[in-house]
Amino acid sequence: MKKKLLSVILTAALAASMTAVGVCATEPDTQAEKNFKVLSIWSDESVDGQILIGMLDKYSEVNPNFTYEYEYVAASDLSTKIATLVSSDDLPDLFAYVAGTPLKNLINADKVVNISEELESLGLSDQITDGAKSIMTSLSGTDDLYDLPFGMNVEGFWYNKALFEEAGAEVPTTWDELLEVCDVFMEKGIQPLATGGADKWPTTRLINAYAYRTMGADATRQAANGEISFTDEGFVAAAQMVADMVEKGYFGEGATTVDNTTAENMLLAGECAMVYDGSWFTSSITADTNPAGEDGIGFMGVPVVDESISPSTEYPMNCGNILCLSKSKYDGATAGFLQYFVENIGDYAMGDYQSVRGYTYTVSDDALSPITKEIVDTITTATGSTAWWEAYLNDETKSAAQDNVQTLINGDMTAEEYMDSIQEAYDLSR
Amino acid sequence: MKKVLGSKKAIALFVVPGLILYVGIVFVPVIWSFGYSLFSGTPGLDWRFTGLKNYQKLFLDSRFKTALIVNLKYILYTMLGQVVLGLGLALIFRFGLKRFKNTFRTIAFFPVILPTVAVGQLFAKIYEIQPHYGLLNSLLSNIGLQNLVQPWIGQQSTALPALSVMDIWVSMGFYAVIFYGGLLDISDDVMEAAKIDGCGFWKMFRTIIFPLLRPVTITCLVFSFAGTVKMFESATALTGGGPGNATTSLSMYMYNVAFSYGNVGYGSAIAIVIFLICVIGTRIIRVLDRE
Amino acid sequence: MNKTKKIISSVLLKLVIALVVVIDVYPIVWMFLCALKKPTEFVSKPSYALPEGLYLQNFVDAWTKGNMGTFFLNSLFYTAVALVFIVTFSMTIGFAVTKMEWKMKKFFQSFFLMGLMVPVATALLPLFQIYNKIGLLNTRTCLILTYIAFGLSLSIFLVTGYMRSLPDELLEASVIDGCGIFSMMRYIVVPLMKNAAVTVLVLQFFYKWNDLLFSMTFVSSTNLKTIQTGLLYFEDQFGSKNWGAIFASVTISVAPMLLIYSVLNKKVIEGMVAGAVKG
Repeated sequence: MKKKLLSVILTAALAASMTAVGVCATEPDTQAEKNFKVLSIWSDESVDGQILIGMLDKYSEVNPNFTYEYEYVAASDLSTKIATLVSSDDLPDLFAYVAGTPLKNLINADKVVNISEELESLGLSDQITDGAKSIMTSLSGTDDLYDLPFGMNVEGFWYNKALFEEAGAEVPTTWDELLEVCDVFMEKGIQPLATGGADKWPTTRLINAYAYRTMGADATRQAANGEISFTDEGFVAAAQMVADMVEKGYFGEGATTVDNTTAENMLLAGECAMVYDGSWFTSSITADTNPAGEDGIGFMGVPVVDESISPSTEYPMNCGNILCLSKSKYDGATAGFLQYFVENIGDYAMGDYQSVRGYTYTVSDDALSPITKEIVDTITTATGSTAWWEAYLNDETKSAAQDNVQTLINGDMTAEEYMDSIQEAYDLSR
Repeated sequence: MKKVLGSKKAIALFVVPGLILYVGIVFVPVIWSFGYSLFSGTPGLDWRFTGLKNYQKLFLDSRFKTALIVNLKYILYTMLGQVVLGLGLALIFRFGLKRFKNTFRTIAFFPVILPTVAVGQLFAKIYEIQPHYGLLNSLLSNIGLQNLVQPWIGQQSTALPALSVMDIWVSMGFYAVIFYGGLLDISDDVMEAAKIDGCGFWKMFRTIIFPLLRPVTITCLVFSFAGTVKMFESATALTGGGPGNATTSLSMYMYNVAFSYGNVGYGSAIAIVIFLICVIGTRIIRVLDRE
Repeated sequence: MNKTKKIISSVLLKLVIALVVVIDVYPIVWMFLCALKKPTEFVSKPSYALPEGLYLQNFVDAWTKGNMGTFFLNSLFYTAVALVFIVTFSMTIGFAVTKMEWKMKKFFQSFFLMGLMVPVATALLPLFQIYNKIGLLNTRTCLILTYIAFGLSLSIFLVTGYMRSLPDELLEASVIDGCGIFSMMRYIVVPLMKNAAVTVLVLQFFYKWNDLLFSMTFVSSTNLKTIQTGLLYFEDQFGSKNWGAIFASVTISVAPMLLIYSVLNKKVIEGMVAGAVKG
């Protein structure tokens, strides 16, 4: 009797103390009945969609009282959709979202679950890899995680091996070598590079690539925090570098009309020698439809400019689109799913789809295709990472950066004007 | 007679249902929009009264200025093309053809019924340059005009005209049919008489046909203006507003401001500007009508 | 001299006509042909090349993965329902503000015409918030209501022009014959307004069928999307730009319209010709 009383008091005290500091981890309930609403941007045709749906299906087997509704919207509709749901306070239990400023706004409005706290109380903090954690917390500018990674990508240049052989060119390791190689290809009548200028982001990534190699991995974040200006000569030089490369014809004619998929397909079809892209591209390389064959494409990091500013083992990395849990809908049933999800997704994605998702896994990667293996090794051996060009920008500044990159590479805007336009949008939106 | 046509019940039944929809969905939102334009942020999130600040911001915003200029240029190019080519086609329908009149009219009306986004995708492929030449560039390069091969929708100088060409292609048949109706109303006797007086075609067109076509021309201008001032569908489908902001219209910019940047208040101020352009444009056409 | 001039101008005219036909027809034919090409043909062959064979997988992809069937039926449904109401309302309101006798008719006539000056974009943002509040967002109802409301002004404008030319004597005669207001509408007004109705139908069909702004703002579920929004986000569905399937989808969306149009074109064009002039 006494013991029981004591335990009751202790539990009450514990509960009180937890509410007092505002930390109240929810106990997972793996039998709870719940209709779990999911908002996703991945159709069931895509690998991402299949992995997410696979996890939901598998958990419904663990907890037969758990059912789910999977709503799919186009990626371009996502922000409108979320904005609507936020204003009517009706965010779904689990939803795909965009890291960086968009997520920051939801964190500030207290709409999403603090994932770090929940995983801590579940004892599962180690399930998410440290690399993913550091990328995600630095993007949201928080100590804690408020989102779940759903990808782990490294970016760099991909090259067509047959074309390099044909031109007798070496894979470049420094930026100067990259330019030399481009000239070699130009002489041979081979288009050296392609970029998805119609989608805009592939081209800004090239500017980012040169900027982080010359200014350090932290430059864009510093500019977004107002520590340095976007009109800094380093940024201007990066924009100038890309504009010059387009001017010299490295990217062929009309680079602003090419979308990223077309650029990727050009590399696979041997119509250009190199493309800057993220490791999500591996699924197209390993697909049977790849005319170059799985071994025909290689990966290299962004060529180095100055090893002392940014070493070769530092890569642009990101977690792609991330997953968030709605705070107001969070309960034991969701905690149960969260527990299952972080425990199993690493193995499931690697085992069934050869896909790295930012979670630890125990399956052996011997069965991986060589290119996937190379990517996995690159990610595990990376010593540092940088985000993408627009990662720390708010929406207005981001669209100035993206829209005007087309104007820049068309030669209708100088590199100074381009960086000025970003600074202007940044100032206006302050 | 009076009893039948003055029946209150019938009038109410005829007018009220449409009136409710019209007031609720067209009229009220316009006034509402004006109210919104005095706020900033998104309703329900960070909604603050800011008075006329949004209108001040319009003057500082270079992207707004670009969108305004793009929109006005587009109205000019497209209206001109649609009306002039529509009239030209109608003249061919009426005077240039003896056989196959119907077939030709049907063919010219074809593109009108295609969904705009489908047309956009079709033309994106026609204007293509990389990785392969599209229809237009292939044609130019095959007839020896290699130096004219260019990224039609990928560069500032040609993107907007290329877009206008697409929209003119779509709707010139539509205007041709309206003009054709006007031409049919001009009696053959008048033209016979003119011919006997030794009028050439051009003189006849200037002195007889065109003046008689004025009411129809005004109708066409009104339709064309209403269609071009909103500029959204075709640009979204063909260029997505690019390159840069070279084909971003006011409606597209408003959409981005409101939904992508989450500033419904500022978006509403832009919406009010679009409304004003519409009012002014309609006035100008009316004045032409009265002259 | 005069004769050679005549021949030259007739040849020139024929050339112009041929050119117009080619410009109007060739892109559409080309689109049908592209829908039959294999993915590799887009890469390996020039754009004007004929397809190697009939690659029908494109149509299967468009129909199943691309949901073109759903989108097409949605578009057809929204447009058809909206058109029925637009024609009905524009007839009744047009008649009420021109031929019927009441005090406010001049006021309401110009009140409805004011809508001609309202661009859709101006009403978009408040409408979005209103529909969101009353839970109509992402439903068929909100799109149809919006389509009807925004079709009224122009249609009433066209119909009133036509109504004015309707002789009062006819209406008087019908009253003398013992017609009430409803039978007058049914037996006298509507039959005489056929051309006006066709004009309104064609014009509004053109606008509603092509709407993108409203449908992409108000509707986000795949099963409610229209052809326009469906085609716009097509690339996302396929992951990569599958041009063959895109052209197949475009063909699917276009073919029925061409069919309907080729059956009805005489009526449509005659109605337009007779109706538009009066407006």
